[in-house]
Amino acid sequence: MATLHKPLALIAEITHRCPLHCVYCSNPLEMIAAKKELATHDWVRIFQEARQLGVLHLHLTGGEPAARADLKELIQAAHVAGLYTNLITSGIGLNESRLAALVEAGLDHVQLSIQDATEDRANWIAGTKAHAHKIAFAGAVNKLRVAFTVNLVVHRQNLDHLEEMIAFAEQLGPNRLEIAHTQYYGWALKNRAQLMPTREQIEQCMSIVEAAQKRLAGKMRIDCVIPDYYARYPKACMGGWGRRLLLIDPAGQVLPCHAAGVIPDLKFDNVRDRSLEWIWNKSAAFNRFRGEEWMQEPCRSCERRTEDFGGCRCQAFLLTGDMTATDPACSLAPMHHLVTSQQIEKHDLREETTDVSWSYRATVE
Amino acid sequence: MPRPSDSSRPRFAAGCRWGSHGEDRVVLFPEGMIRVEATGLSILELVDGQRDVAHIISTLAERYPKADPTKIREDVLSFLEKLHDKRVVDF
Ligand code: SF4
Ligand code: SF4
Repeated sequence: MATLHKPLALIAEITHRCPLHCVYCSNPLEMIAAKKELATHDWVRIFQEARQLGVLHLHLTGGEPAARADLKELIQAAHVAGLYTNLITSGIGLNESRLAALVEAGLDHVQLSIQDATEDRANWIAGTKAHAHKIAFAGAVNKLRVAFTVNLVVHRQNLDHLEEMIAFAEQLGPNRLEIAHTQYYGWALKNRAQLMPTREQIEQCMSIVEAAQKRLAGKMRIDCVIPDYYARYPKACMGGWGRRLLLIDPAGQVLPCHAAGVIPDLKFDNVRDRSLEWIWNKSAAFNRFRGEEWMQEPCRSCERRTEDFGGCRCQAFLLTGDMTATDPACSLAPMHHLVTSQQIEKHDLREETTDVSWSYRATVE
Repeated sequence: MPRPSDSSRPRFAAGCRWGSHGEDRVVLFPEGMIRVEATGLSILELVDGQRDVAHIISTLAERYPKADPTKIREDVLSFLEKLHDKRVVDF
């Protein structure tokens, strides 16, 4: 039996509703309707149970969390329960006074995602006119005493403007900048062919980030992780299955990660029926990939298995059809060709926006 | 890497605050938490945006009369510098 760790973070997808239509959205293709969402009192109970279980950080996300009218009550309840609250938002639906009320209620950290440096390009990726609003929102955040991260979501369609994007993000005044390569789940997987960066872009990205880190040292922290499609080894997805994190979807299902819903054999328990403690400790889904029993070769005898746990189970399933396979992102994986075949060395012809046809994330009511 | 001066008034950076993890006192910040123990804890408990560095050093020197004052000074300065680097403390 694997040692049971205590969760440190809870990702609360409080709604799937969102006014944006980002092509890289990691929400599932089948989103949850508003009428199925958990009620305020359910979340209040969850936050208390989560804290008792050991959770320190709460990440309120969605969809757009501000689409819920009770966001302030939720933040207050989380704060009272003793959780550190992070809000991951597009800023849409939050004007200065509503944001101030959230900070008053105990919000600790705001994370704003940015799609590109210029308005047209950014709105094209978001499928909505959101960019100008985000600039105004950043201004409102700066007036308050709250930690502020700007998140640049990068992929082939904007990596050529990374320097401009960083310069733009600086003007928004965050404490920290996160450069997040798109991960291929949900809508992003549907749009993978249009989003996959080239190897040339990844290499440039690394040197641009290094230069920016030097230039901005002491002023703004910059974090960037190499996308696993171009790395040698996979990431320790979510810090290992059922080891550090849990995610609750808008309808109350508890999952070990964002994408776990794609694995057909797994049955997820719901907070409406079970305590969070039971689900973490006892549920079949959380125990499915704990420890090493489930692993195949080469992971089973690989030295790195205690660091990356064989990579992402959802990616393994999505690409190979086998949920216990070595993550194909790993260079040692027998199915690594599934990833290398997607890699692009470089693109000589710069794509025009009109050349790209992709699926915008759908609307859910 | 800036060092605080005697007159700097260190305080927690925006988004950094105390929390507890089991028996341990921790500082929570957006990307995670750090455990603070022993010397670090006694320094950080004096960080409130009001006291300046000289005050923090003299308070600790009074509290630990047997410790070498130069060492206390060095501990305080390097600890605050380290936390500033992690963006936990501003001064
Ligand atoms: S559409 Fe964009 S803003 Fe909305 S949830 Fe998806 S990624 Fe976030
Ligand atoms: S073989 Fe498995 S354990 Fe080893 S590096 Fe690859 S994914 Fe990780």
